[in-house]
Amino acid sequence: MRRVEHIMGLPISVDLRDGDAALAERAFAWLREADDRFSPFKPDSEVSRLDRGELTREELTPDLVEVLSLCDWYEESTGGAFTATVPGRGLDPCAVVKGWAVQRAADILREGGATTYCVNAGGDVVTAGEPEPGKPWRVGVRHPDIADQVCVVLGVRDGAVATSALYERGQHILDGRTGRPVAGILSVTIFAEDLAIADTTATAAFALGRDGIEWAAAQEDCEVFIVDEDRRVFSSPGLPVHIC
Amino acid sequence: MKRAIPVLALSVAGLVPVWLYSPGPAHEGEINEAAAAPEAQAQTQTQTQTPAAPKTTGSAPKTTGSTPAPQQQQQAQTRTVSGPAVNTSEGTVQVQVTFQGTKITDVKALRAPNSNPTRMALPLLRESALKAQSADIDTVSGATATSEGYKQSLQAAIDGAR
Repeated sequence: MRRVEHIMGLPISVDLRDGDAALAERAFAWLREADDRFSPFKPDSEVSRLDRGELTREELTPDLVEVLSLCDWYEESTGGAFTATVPGRGLDPCAVVKGWAVQRAADILREGGATTYCVNAGGDVVTAGEPEPGKPWRVGVRHPDIADQVCVVLGVRDGAVATSALYERGQHILDGRTGRPVAGILSVTIFAEDLAIADTTATAAFALGRDGIEWAAAQEDCEVFIVDEDRRVFSSPGLPVHIC
Repeated sequence: MKRAIPVLALSVAGLVPVWLYSPGPAHEGEINEAAAAPEAQAQTQTQTQTPAAPKTTGSAPKTTGSTPAPQQQQQAQTRTVSGPAVNTSEGTVQVQVTFQGTKITDVKALRAPNSNPTRMALPLLRESALKAQSADIDTVSGATATSEGYKQSLQAAIDGAR
């Protein structure tokens, strides 16, 4: 079965090959719950209440503690280029919440007995199993200049692929060190075993600009495919490129 | 020092093929297992999936419920060689180089004086030109961060959205 729903401002598609509608609904219900609890745009969310000082760090749920510890780790590792605390906007852990929540939605499918699925949340992907015997999921990476073409195809069984890129007007990633939009790279794709890691690494690398190329490649258990402003591609040897 | 480690690593990496293909007997003492006899190197081939890079305090946190590690294809000719520990004014540096055939595919710092986690691995990146293709795919990675963007995206076509 296949289903698309808009949650967290994203189109989220679930392509579930061996599960029923009730299982998919559990995954979507979790994503709606995550949006309610962790959105900085909802006044009653745990994140908003923490930001207003109504909760202390000791009173947080383990889920939010996990999200914030991921934020802290990437902020430290990038020297502040990646940050969950944007000046003038308060606490905004969205960059981590998205990948983390979608990975957990995929885990709900797996724990519910599904073995073969592909979840795509606004271009960030978690896959499991093989859509056809002996064949991996073919995950195309959108070409940074040509919207209806891809620039590489990855062959993924159990894994996650996230891309951080600039191609839609009004969309931007700020360098937390300067507060200004980043320049230097057009598109960062990360392949990892977990979408929380893949997505946050992609966003953080993008925020670092050109320095993000080497930084991302040095992250443990992450394979990279990065396009810079000069349309040069940097890819790591372990990237699972699918030969069509 | 930040720049010194990659430079040193690459310098050492450049020397490794010389040791590898040296027809003479292995040097004793001053160089460690990197200069071991070819038979000993062959024994290290199976270790390439778990390079012995030391953990630092800043290692990436794992989230709960992660899926099993993806299967990585290993080519038969892969082997991993550790270079000698080199003393610098900042501390000891030692690198490990992975070969596929005669080609270096990865360089990792086994020991580096800078404890910053971003300096632990020094992988080699392949550089190529950007290409466009319209291959058969199952899904698309690439931010369609808005609903408007989604409607016009390849992913929408794959999902069959109207």
